[in-house]
Amino acid sequence: MDKLHISLAAEPIFHIGPVAITNAMILGVFGVAVMLAILFYAARALEQGKRNRFLGLLQWCFEGFLTQAEDIIGDKQTARRIFPLAITMFFTVLITYWVAALPGVGVITWNEIPLFRGLPADLNFTFALAIITVVASQVYAVRKHGFFGNIGRYIKNPIKDPIGAFEGILEFIGEFSRLIALSFRLFGNAFAGEVLLMVILLLTSYAAIVALPLVMVFEIFIGFIQAYVFFVLTLIFTSLALQTHGHDDSHSSSLDHSPADTSKKAAVAE
Amino acid sequence: MEYYTQLTVLAATAEASADEGILAALGIDWMLLAIQLVAFLVLVWILRKFVYPVFIRIIDEREEKIEASVKAAEIAEQNAESAQENVQALLKEARKEAKEIVATAKDEATAMVDASDKKAKARADKIVADAHDKIEKDVIAARKALHNDTIELVALATEKVVGQITSAQLDKKVIDSAVKEAR
Repeated sequence: MDKLHISLAAEPIFHIGPVAITNAMILGVFGVAVMLAILFYAARALEQGKRNRFLGLLQWCFEGFLTQAEDIIGDKQTARRIFPLAITMFFTVLITYWVAALPGVGVITWNEIPLFRGLPADLNFTFALAIITVVASQVYAVRKHGFFGNIGRYIKNPIKDPIGAFEGILEFIGEFSRLIALSFRLFGNAFAGEVLLMVILLLTSYAAIVALPLVMVFEIFIGFIQAYVFFVLTLIFTSLALQTHGHDDSHSSSLDHSPADTSKKAAVAE
Repeated sequence: MEYYTQLTVLAATAEASADEGILAALGIDWMLLAIQLVAFLVLVWILRKFVYPVFIRIIDEREEKIEASVKAAEIAEQNAESAQENVQALLKEARKEAKEIVATAKDEATAMVDASDKKAKARADKIVADAHDKIEKDVIAARKALHNDTIELVALATEKVVGQITSAQLDKKVIDSAVKEAR
């Protein structure tokens, strides 16, 4: 390799009708296929009563994440409803991030364009996940508070409650900042990771045999962190959207807090 | 090996920003975004339908087993506690009974010892009394024997000294008077 090819956007390799199939999508499909193979194998094996270390590890992770989801959401039933979405985000980000650290990614080219690119290094993917997260949290919020109840979280009478009205605006802006923060954090990490791998490969030349595995291990670790962060933030945003506000006395629960607290919590989470 | 870098990113971003906007520069294509969004939702649906229920069912079953085990352990603990209480009550009763038995035994033993003492004392008194009687009798007999022997001895002595045969009546008078004197 004698060129450092860096592109912020995923690049199309071929087209199916009007749809451009990008290098990120190709590796993404591979990653998702691997993920599905693993999960279906595990589900089938568990159903047949098989037990081995890998299944045990997978089950242990799954149970740990489910417990965490129940702890964050507070309500077991709601947690179990949102959990499939959150855990799928975790597995998808994890596997697609990890396959992007495989040798050959970014190096094998097709018409001078890298044939493979990590799916999380495609802003379309991370933005799609962020949209799903935010929309899902809104859907659950509407289910719990009702349509107007949910709108009431953002729009308040400025004469009766000027501070609340201001906080509502901040809350509304916060929803968009979450969208941006979620998508760009994952994209930035994945993109930077791929560039880092390429730069290390270019700088170390034949010593890359020694240097690259270390960076790859680091990328695998970062991939886990990013997947975990996405999982936790999805749950936290949903949890924040589900929480009842102090003004709504008739439905107040132990999770009651002011909108200011919500903003603070979200800020801390981010 | 000669390396040279082709940083297409900056140029591409600048060009795209100018021509198509910042989103296009970042690689956001609404069609691709929509495809990936739908694809991900389909993925969630598939996993939610076919994979996650298995994991969740196993977790629930294990939780149920753990809860049942905890309940069984609680029941066992309660049983153990009640058994312990029973044991304590039985021990208490047994100790009480043992105390009563010991006290009764002590009383009986004391009574027996007293009775034995009395019996022994009575026997000892009897033995002593018998011994006294016997000694008294022996003394009397000895005195009598001594008396007779003395009489015989005196008679013989007198016979020898006097050298004459006297009548038995005379002898007796003489002897008696001799004895009285001797006393």
